Amino acid sequence: MRVVLTAEGTYPHQFGGVSVWCDQLIRGLTGYEFTVVALVATGTEPVRWELPSHLSQLVTLPLWGPPPPLPRRARWPRGRTVPLVVQELVDVLLDDNPGGRFGTVLRDLHEYARARNLTAALSHERTVRLLAAAWRERWPEMAARRGAQPAGTGPTLHDAVTAMRLVEHALRPLSHPAVRADVAHAVTNGLGALPALAAKWEHQIPMFVTEHGVYMREQYLHLRSPDFGWPAKDLYLRFLGQVCALGYREAEVITPGNVYNKRWEVQLGADPDRVRTVYNGVNPDAFPELTDEPEVPTISWVGRIDPIKDLETLLRAFALVKADMPAARLRIFGSAPGGRQWYLDRCQALAAELGLDDSATFEGRIPDVRDAYAAGHVVVLCSISEGFPYSLIEAMACGRPCVATDVGGVSEALADDAGVMVLPRDPAGLAAACLKLLHDPDLRKSFGAKARERALEHFTVDRAVHAFDEIYTLMSTGNQIQPAPDTKSRVVASNATARLDSHDERRAKRRRSAAGGSGRALPPDLRVSGEPA
Amino acid sequence: MNPLEIASALEFDGISNRAAHAGYDVPDVFALARLLYARVPRKPAAPEAEPGPRAISRPVVHGLLYGLPAACFPAAGPLLVGPGVLAALIVALLSGWGLSQGLAAVGFQRLGVSGPEQARPVLRTGLVGCLALVTLVMVVTMLTVHARLAVLAFGIGECAYMLGACVLLVIGEERWLPAALAPGVTGAALFLLLGKPGALADQTWAALAVTPLIACVIAVVRTAGTRLRGGCLPSRRELLGALPGASLGVVAAGLLSFPLAVGTSGHGGANVGAFIASVPLALSMGAAEWNLLRYRRGSGQLLGQTDDPRWFRRRAGRLLLWTMLRHAAGTIVIAGAALAVAVLVAQVSPDQAVLLALGSYLLLGAAMFLVLLLQTVQVRLVPLALAAAALCAEITLRRYGLAVQVAAPAALLVTVGGYAYRRLGEAVLHA
Repeated sequence: MRVVLTAEGTYPHQFGGVSVWCDQLIRGLTGYEFTVVALVATGTEPVRWELPSHLSQLVTLPLWGPPPPLPRRARWPRGRTVPLVVQELVDVLLDDNPGGRFGTVLRDLHEYARARNLTAALSHERTVRLLAAAWRERWPEMAARRGAQPAGTGPTLHDAVTAMRLVEHALRPLSHPAVRADVAHAVTNGLGALPALAAKWEHQIPMFVTEHGVYMREQYLHLRSPDFGWPAKDLYLRFLGQVCALGYREAEVITPGNVYNKRWEVQLGADPDRVRTVYNGVNPDAFPELTDEPEVPTISWVGRIDPIKDLETLLRAFALVKADMPAARLRIFGSAPGGRQWYLDRCQALAAELGLDDSATFEGRIPDVRDAYAAGHVVVLCSISEGFPYSLIEAMACGRPCVATDVGGVSEALADDAGVMVLPRDPAGLAAACLKLLHDPDLRKSFGAKARERALEHFTVDRAVHAFDEIYTLMSTGNQIQPAPDTKSRVVASNATARLDSHDERRAKRRRSAAGGSGRALPPDLRVSGEPA
Repeated sequence: MNPLEIASALEFDGISNRAAHAGYDVPDVFALARLLYARVPRKPAAPEAEPGPRAISRPVVHGLLYGLPAACFPAAGPLLVGPGVLAALIVALLSGWGLSQGLAAVGFQRLGVSGPEQARPVLRTGLVGCLALVTLVMVVTMLTVHARLAVLAFGIGECAYMLGACVLLVIGEERWLPAALAPGVTGAALFLLLGKPGALADQTWAALAVTPLIACVIAVVRTAGTRLRGGCLPSRRELLGALPGASLGVVAAGLLSFPLAVGTSGHGGANVGAFIASVPLALSMGAAEWNLLRYRRGSGQLLGQTDDPRWFRRRAGRLLLWTMLRHAAGTIVIAGAALAVAVLVAQVSPDQAVLLALGSYLLLGAAMFLVLLLQTVQVRLVPLALAAAALCAEITLRRYGLAVQVAAPAALLVTVGGYAYRRLGEAVLHA
């Protein structure tokens, strides 16, 4: 079976949690043939992962830089009018409730792009004038509906040019031929789902969406302070929102990496009955239990040096820890990716300012992440925002007690007794939790044991990979995944004889056999995902 | 803005469902966001205005850097004798301009896509490659026209300086160029001021040779030490993208050097006016850069003041006219000063031929300014074609001498001017 995996700004050109997940998925499903369609910035990004042999093709689609190659026999926009499909795009972008129209327009744009020069059409002076005129006509009504009192009189030509430029770049994936496969799997929503949608439209294959972070939420944060006017920002966010909503509508199933994401997806238009959580997983063999602890009381942190990880709160918390426990140490493992060196410099300056030069160390990237967990008595995650962090479940698998901020899917990982949760941006709370664990070896042992048990029960890579194996099989054979009333999923076969022999069912069978009960037919609450109890 | 955007910001600030419920008695963070959306009026602020052009000192310095090398020509006069001198120098000029503009275009493409660290290796490779190519071209020229070795060396040195200077300009390190220019310009100036004493000839020519050498060495050093990603050779796409720039460099060099080559009669001989005009034209490039930046900033501001394309077109046209007048005024002042110096120092008689030749260069300078302006907004092919047509007309009709040397740049100015007025009225070119 052939699967096309589509993503934006991640595997195989970047490191990070989503890339780890992609690598695990592809390597875990050796019976499949994968094609990866990666949306990148410029097309000059190097491939940072060793690609498995059954990844038969890597297609790189740059969103920026020179325009995409034209289709053969591409024709330039003709005549003195804007192409009808572009007129419809402008109309639907300014419509507060376009409903299903956006999907129709996007599909038409894809067909247009396969025959003509979509980049030229969207970048043309006539298109900008069309948008400016439409904005002029509708702006008073739009502004009144939103209760906005903006500075100035309304969108300007600069806003129109900027907005069309952003949309043109975002729609570049539509100019590339859709990859032929049996299933299309978008690893990110938004622009990363465009190649999957194109594959669905062109080759009539099923597609589904996985979200580790919520794309639209991240775009809202990313565009909090853009360097262009707010009308252009508003239009661009509406466009992205429509793309995400279309991704949810067209997907046979949506598989967030945690239940936390589901709230957002439903708010953004996803059908809750199509949402199935599939947690990230780790390889237990790569993270065996750590039985030894360092001699000196140590807090360990692992991750990407990024403002979203909020190392400043960690440093301030550690200053409080050190005041109570002068011998304590903080070891920070990880590097600053491109463009984030300023944040690392800022954290190092803060450490110096707090007098932590000798006790808080920035160790850089570590070859074996397990050594980072082994380096501390307690592993801390203090991010402001997270999906379902690998560092947390890896530390849990090693049996290390964890203190983490209650963001994203952290509470689903730690539950009530597998770690300590604190509020984000709360140095005092974080320090208190760390001190509690550093002072109490029995408590550390208890938390560590429960963490490991929970990780091995619910967050293994086999479980995650198996879940997607089932989804691929179901989708490619035309089976549907339908909900049960209690939000757990039940598989309904398109014919009465199809069965799913899931991991959960096998366990249930073993329990029934052990209890001596007679075999039953397919349990009504069969779970496709690995939602832990 | 919509409530979900507010909800994302609340969560980013650490307000979870639990915190929203505990602190604000709402079910979750989405409810809190809706509450805020309903209660708080939205007053989005305008984005910060783009900074203005850098201080005028930088374009002034650039003008000096463009113009100072011209001082080396008079000092090199005794070297540039014998058969084939003119042909060799024209080939050097065409090669140097074409290759340096092409190299700059490749460098800027790589800079725009991958950043300065990835632009440096390709510029270094390009510099070495272009130097090799220039050497080959000059050797072939020398053998063809039987020019002396000194002429060959001068031609190569001229190109080498242009290439090295181009690399430093692209990576923003032109501050090293005065160090490279110092030996040649100082030596040349002293040599001329002392009346070209024969005893100092060898030392002067050695100083002239050192200038391009230093420029290239600095360019190589300042582009070294970068870990490569994406290769140090330009891609096919980058080479194709550099073709218009390289072609324009050749055409511009042709337009500048042709009157000097054929003289006022069109059949050879001196063209004093053209010779006088070449230095102010080079110096005015700095002012042209400043005018260009001011125009781009002004047109960007106009975009942000209106939603009416027709209003923008009218005002952009007016802005273009003012920019051209400002450029022309500056160039006329510099040209006038150069003429005054020539009259007073070199006893040049400002007759009709000199004035017409000077005027033709002013027209050419104005036309090339418009061509460069269009290049900055990615309109390249039509201006290049018009400039090439003007050069072809000059070559084809050279027998008409000064008349065609005035008419061709005038026609170019009118056609490019009309085209620029039409195209630069389009909003899409300016943001």
